[in-house]
This record gives sequence, C-alpha cells and structure tokens, in this order.
Amino acid sequence: MLKYTVRRFFEMLLTLFIIATATFFLLEAVPGDPLTTRAERLPESVAENLYHKYGLDKSTMERYVITMKGMLKGDFGESVVMPGYDIQQLLKETLAPSARLGLQCIIVGVGLGLILGILAAMFKGTWADYLIVFFSVLMISVPTLIFGLLLQKYVAGELGLFPIVGWPKGDDLWFGGWEYTVLPTLSGCFSYVATYSRLLKTSMLDVINQDYVLAARAKGLSEPQIVRRHILRNAFIPIITVLPMSVAFALTGSFFIEKIYSIPGFGRYFIDSIQAQDLSIVLGQTVLMAILYVAVVFVVDILYTVVDPRIRVGGRT
Amino acid sequence: MGETLLQVKDLRVSYYTYAGEVQSVRGISFDVEKGETVAIVGESGCGKSVTAKSIMRLIADPGKIKEGSSITLDGRDILAMSGRELRSYRGAECAMIFQDALTSLDPTMKVGKQIAEVLTIHGMATKREAAAKAVELLRQVGIPNPERRAQEYPHQFSGGMRQRAMIATALACGPKLLIADEPTTALDVTIQAQIIDLMKQMQKELNAAILLITHDLGVVADIARRICVMYSGKIVERGSADDIFYRPRHPYTLALLSAVPRLDLENKEHLASIEGTPPDLLKPPAGCPFCTRCKYCMPICQEEMPESTDFGGGHQASCWLHDPRAPRVDAPLYDEKEGRV
Amino acid sequence: MEKAIDPRFVVKGCENTDKEAIVRPTITYAQDAWRRLRKNPVAMVSLAVLVLLIILAVFGPTICGQDYTYMEPALKNQPPSAEHWFGTDLLGRDLFARVCVGARVSLLIALVCTCVQVIIGCIYGGIMAYFGGWVDSIMMRIIEVMMSLPYLLVVILVMLVLGNSVPSLLVALCVTSWCNTARAVRGVILQLKSSEYVMAAQTLGASPWRIIIRHLLPNTMGILILNTATSIPNYIFQESTLSFLGIGLQPPDTSLGVIISLGQDAMQFYPLQLIFPAAILVLIVLSFNLLGDGLRDALDPKLRK
Repeated sequence: MLKYTVRRFFEMLLTLFIIATATFFLLEAVPGDPLTTRAERLPESVAENLYHKYGLDKSTMERYVITMKGMLKGDFGESVVMPGYDIQQLLKETLAPSARLGLQCIIVGVGLGLILGILAAMFKGTWADYLIVFFSVLMISVPTLIFGLLLQKYVAGELGLFPIVGWPKGDDLWFGGWEYTVLPTLSGCFSYVATYSRLLKTSMLDVINQDYVLAARAKGLSEPQIVRRHILRNAFIPIITVLPMSVAFALTGSFFIEKIYSIPGFGRYFIDSIQAQDLSIVLGQTVLMAILYVAVVFVVDILYTVVDPRIRVGGRT
Repeated sequence: MGETLLQVKDLRVSYYTYAGEVQSVRGISFDVEKGETVAIVGESGCGKSVTAKSIMRLIADPGKIKEGSSITLDGRDILAMSGRELRSYRGAECAMIFQDALTSLDPTMKVGKQIAEVLTIHGMATKREAAAKAVELLRQVGIPNPERRAQEYPHQFSGGMRQRAMIATALACGPKLLIADEPTTALDVTIQAQIIDLMKQMQKELNAAILLITHDLGVVADIARRICVMYSGKIVERGSADDIFYRPRHPYTLALLSAVPRLDLENKEHLASIEGTPPDLLKPPAGCPFCTRCKYCMPICQEEMPESTDFGGGHQASCWLHDPRAPRVDAPLYDEKEGRV
Repeated sequence: MEKAIDPRFVVKGCENTDKEAIVRPTITYAQDAWRRLRKNPVAMVSLAVLVLLIILAVFGPTICGQDYTYMEPALKNQPPSAEHWFGTDLLGRDLFARVCVGARVSLLIALVCTCVQVIIGCIYGGIMAYFGGWVDSIMMRIIEVMMSLPYLLVVILVMLVLGNSVPSLLVALCVTSWCNTARAVRGVILQLKSSEYVMAAQTLGASPWRIIIRHLLPNTMGILILNTATSIPNYIFQESTLSFLGIGLQPPDTSLGVIISLGQDAMQFYPLQLIFPAAILVLIVLSFNLLGDGLRDALDPKLRK
C-alpha cells in the first residue's frame, strides 16, 4: 500500500509538471501578450516598465524557467489583468461561493438522480420507467445556460419568487441566504440528475440479472428487501467510483451559472483569464484542477477496495 | 408408498420472446414423497431447470406458467399463493441450491451473514442467534474453522466450499423439500462425490425430500430413488433407479446411458454420443420429439406423440416401440417376461 | 397370429433425417439490432423527428421563402406571423430562416467533427492495440496528458491562435475529442485479441482478414455507432456554448449558438428570440440522445433474444 502511494505521488508530480508546461507553451503560442491592448494607450516608458514588472520583456525560455521555479515555491505570480491579485488571493475570495454552489448541486442532483434511477430500474418497462428515462434525457439535452436564463427570467423575474441575482455573503456564506441559492442550484443540478439516474439504472439492471438476486428471491426475501440488501449494495459500486469526480468538478464552479446569477465564484474567472492570457491565474487554476483530478483518481482507487471486497484480497476478479 | 409431498400436474411453461412462444415445459406431471430423492435427468435445454424454477415460482418475464398447470406442496396450491405466502414458502418450506455457487452468493456480503439472513427474514431467530446458527450450519456442512469462515466473503471460498455454504443456506430453515439444480456441475469430480455425500447425510438428518436436477446420470445413480428422464419439455420415461439403469424402455434413456463413461466395460470402444440436437421448442414437433435422433424411428413417430406405456411399479415410458403394432426391434428395450405380440 | 403390418410402424431409423437442421432462420447481428431498434417506439419517433429537422435545416429557408440575411429595418422584433413563422430578430431578419441555417451549420460541424474523431480514434486506437508494448504505453501517456488538460483551455487557446472561423472551430473541437474513441477502440481490440473465440478462429485457420472482418469490425462497430450517437449532440452543445461565449463563431457567421447568443441579448423584451433557437437545439440534441439510447439497447448483445 505504501509503495503504491509513493509511486502514485511521483506520477502525480510528473503529470502536474507536464500540465503546467503544456499550459505555459499553449498560452505562449497565442499571438500578442496580455499587455498588448493596454500598452498601446500608455506612454512608451510606462509600457516598458509594465513589461519589465511582469517579466514579459524576457525571452520565452527564461520566463518558463522563472515561472516553474516560482511554482515550486507556490508562487504563481501576480495577475496581469487584476493588479494586486495572485491566484491564492483570488481563491480565498471566490472558492467558497463556488464550492457551496457545487456541493448544493451535487447533493440535490445526485440525491434526486439516485431515487429516480432506483424507481426506473424497479418499474422497468412501465410508463414510470419511460417517463423517468425521457425526463433524464431531456435534462441533459437542455444546456445549463438555457435553463439558467429561463429560470431567471420566469421564476425570478416574472413570478418574483426568488432574487434575480446575487449570492449570500459574510455570515451567510455557507449557511443562510438560501433564497439566493435556489435557482442556481436548480439550474446546476439537472445534469447530475440525468447522469446519476441513468448510471444507477443501468448498474441496477446489471445486478438484477445476477444469479445471487435469484438466489435471494429463492431464500424468501421480499422485493424491497432484495433491492435494499443485495441489489443496491452491488449497484452502488460504480456510483461510488464516479461520485468523487463529480465533486471535484463541482467544486471548481460553473462558468454559466455564476455568470448568469452574478455569483462571485471561481468559475467565471477561468474563461475570462484564458481570453486575457493572464498566465498566473490560468496556470494556478489549471494546476488546482489537475491536483483535484489526480487526488480524486487516488481516492477512487482506495474507495474501490473499500466498497468491493473482491479487490481487498488479491486482484480484481 | 409414503406420503406425497410435492405434486406437479400437467406443468406447462412458455417463454414469450420476440421470435415467438418457446414452450420450455410441455405438460409434465410427477410427484415427490416425503423424505425421498427424485431426480430429473436430461440434456441442457430440455426444461429441467425451468421445472425447478416453476416449483419455486421463480419464473420471470418473459416466461409464464400456463393455465391448467398445478403444483402443490403438502396439499397447498403454490401457483395460487399470494406474495406474502410465497415469501414464507420460499426458503423455509422449499429451498433451492443453484448450479454456480460463485455467482449465486452476493459478492459484497459475508458468507455468515448470507446464511443468517434466511433465518432472520423467516423470523426463526434474532440477529445474534442467527449469526451463531450460521456458524453452526457451516460446521455441519463440513467447513473447517467456521467461526473465521463466516466472516469471509464468497470469493475467499473454494468452489466446493461455496457449494457447501449454499447447502447450509438452503438447509438453514429445515425445509421439507430441497431442490438442487445441477449442484455438482461446476465442481471437480472429486468434490462432486463429497457434495453428493453431504446432501445424502443432511437428508438423513433433516428428513427432507430432494428434487435433484442434473444432466449427469453418474450423480443420480448414487442418490436418487426414482428418476424422471426429460426430453424436450416432456418426461419420456420414469421409474425407479433400478428400472432406469437396468431396464430402460425408451431409446433416449438407452442412448443417454450408453453415453455415460463406464469403467466396468471390457471393450474400451468409442464413448457413444447422441447425434443431432433437440428440436426447436419454438415449433415443437407434432410427434415424438426424439424421432430425428432415434435409431428406431418409424413414420408414426413423426406424426403423433406416443402415449405412455406402463410397465408396472411406476415404470412408464412414452415410445411407439411399445405399441402392439410396432415391430420388435433388436434392442435391450424389452423385458423377457413381457409378453409380446 | 400375424397382423397386417401397419406401414406407419416400420423402423426406418434416423440415418436419412437431417439431424442438424436449423429450424429457425439465421439472423445476423445487424439485422437483429435493426429489428430491435424498429420495435423501440421512442427511438423510432426520435429518428423521425431528426429526419424532419434535417429536412428543415436543408430546405427550411426555401420552404418559407425568406432569406436569412435580408434585413428589413421596418420589421424589427416582430412576433410570429404567417409571413415570418418565428418572427424577426432585432435587425429585422426572418428568424425561422436563420434558425434553419444555424441548425444546418451546427449539424454540419457536429457531423464533420464526429467523422474526424472516429477516424483518428480508430487509427490511433488500432495502432496502440496492434503494436502493444512500449508503443502502446507511450501513445497511452500522450492521451493521458491530453485528457488531463482542461478541455476549455485547449479549445479557447486553439481558437485564439487560429481566429474565429468554421475551420478553426472544427480543429478546436476535434483536438482532444478523439482520445476517448481511441481508448475505447483499443480496449475492444485488446479484449478481442485475447478472447477465446478469436483464438478458436485462429486455431481453425481463419485468415487475419477474416478475423478482422468477421470479429473485429462487428464488435467495434457497436462502440463506434454509440460513440457517434453521443458525440453529435455533444458537439452541437459545445459549438453553441463556444459561440455563445464569443469564442466560437461570430456574426456574420451563423449557427445555433450565435443565434442563441443574440437571443439572450433580446430576451428581456422578446424572449421568443431565445426560446425558438433554444427549442430547436434542445429538440436536435434530445432526438440524438434518445436515438443513442435506443441504439445502445439494440446493439447490446446481452439483450438479444
């Protein structure tokens, strides 16, 4: 186990290094630099100073080495677009709203999805099943963006049930100000509902055809008992290994929802800073996502051995 | 004659698939007395597993037990049972052992818990008592170190031990009838004998009746008192073990017997096999289902299903060769005493 | 006491009967899949809707007789009418014609990307599985790196480098998408290579070509068809997302994403300008997804009866 963890750790470092390098050179490949438009309007000496401040007057390779060295110390550099900000500062201010939104979406979406998945599998072939399948396919066929816009216009705007924009601050940052979070959560949760209901249904149908379910029926268990004691236990194995990935993605925020509802989250900076070629922010975000991703893969591997006893001893069967 | 425990009358089971109605079981009748062992023998696809599942009411869509069939256990109509009655019947009065013990045990649940489960759901024990009883059952079926083994998962068991655990589960509630569907097929030959011995021993202790479903005549010889030979959804011959082994009356039984490897025969010739395949049950033949593979096939065999002929002592066979109009062929299908025209 | 011998009771044996005769007609995998797909009402309805939408996308502007670029300043933001079926946009252009053309562009982009993805994925995955060993591990590493880069980062940067145009959008969408196809193809081929029935075919002396045509192709086909069915709606989604962000296509180019983006600007007062293109987008994606679900069921050999 220790050997495995150590190997994993070094693999992760290598992956991070490759990702950071790739991100750096991809950004370099874009014509122009983040100061081009600003520099045009400034006197030459000021512009030169500015270039010097961000190290943009040096050659690409030099800057690559400087960036990499900085990264080792956890210093990603100052944002070009938002002076005075570096990635740590930005994270401190924006991660909490994004994380709360993501977690709420996951809890509501996955919860609802799992219930619908169980129902669809248990009533397979009936109208309830068809309805759930249609509903969940519809959910993933409507872009989050459109959901968000329509909910905002009709539920918040015309009906006035919830605030149109905004997000709880201060003491309410994590718990409270629920009325602000209802619509964003609703817009964001649908894709999880669809994904998880389909996943659980497929997985349950796989398990239902197994011999041990027939054996359980022959033992005299009632259908609800069979579902609870045997089918769900086995059908949840694939779910538990996918869930961490969803959580990781959700934590980093959603661009559209944050944009539509003016949520001071992390997601909306991602696209903006790529477009602005703001290297330090992009690099920081990419590395953060990569760390989350690698960590999740690691967690999933460990979860597998916990959930599926066949893996605990010997290899997978 | 003992008291009848299980009575199956005119059982018909069909599977309704895209291609049409597949008549898996086409009207079979037999009964099992208390404490005796009856075997149903036949090759794969002849409907023997479907028969076993019908008795447990485990036929799932698209299969259906057809109207007019009747299955009674101790005089109670199983086909008319409600969901609740059925649950207290399954596992407690009538238990089943499946062919593949690995896939029939839940891989995520400890073996001890799986055995205890059947006791708790039938209200025969509290959780703690059931756990203790499970260990005791494991010991009874000959699993060494049962305390530790009860805490293990099925994949940690060997094939024979899994089948022993299955038997322990099946016998936990002391059922009147044990249905064993190919209990030894997935096992090594040496383990097969052990499992059959175990079943015999447990039968003696619990006085349960066993309905053994198998394609292996070698297994049957050891344990069954009476044998039904099934072919293509019908019972073609039935009788005591002696009748079937020493006085077979149906060409199929004869062919089946000659396909069993034997050590006592001098001439080490080719092991006989039955050529061809059973008929398609989507369109069951009007006549005898065996006629396309039968050495003694006559024109009548293709036209009409033969009535069963009684040879006394419960020995019956359905074959036109025993019709008075049929010629006497050169085969060991007749008894010397039998007066032939 | 000889009786007249009944001719029906003469032993004739079974030597001349065809014992191995297969009574049922044989049905190939494809025939079976198609038959099952046809029996699935949801899949057939979505197929019909799709065909209808494609016809509209191709001939829609001709049918309604409106030009999608013609601006009529006097008829800005009109509600739907007999002349303008979906009304007009804020420059007085016929919305129905625009949505049709936009759907055409979006569908074309999705189709081209899917083709590229499948072709590259097959070749790459095939090479990985065929050579194996270190070639396989290096090519696999490349895929892993590509997949660990944030998707949007790559797409946005490609668009920034190549500029806003249909060809650069195609490149941007395809640049990492083939990775999953390649992995799936590799998986199937590897599994088949070690499968017992392919070994059996080899033992029986089947030529490599026969194995490829009889075993590899049919088995990868299923995966590829599913891949296609899920990729097309994905691309339509991504195209509209990017165009909406102003990264994908931009006016005067038209696509569903561009129209939706313009519709969002107008939605406060003329919500129909958002709802019509969005509804068409949802309808296309929904039909593809439902059809894909039906295909998945139809192609699953486990469900074969």
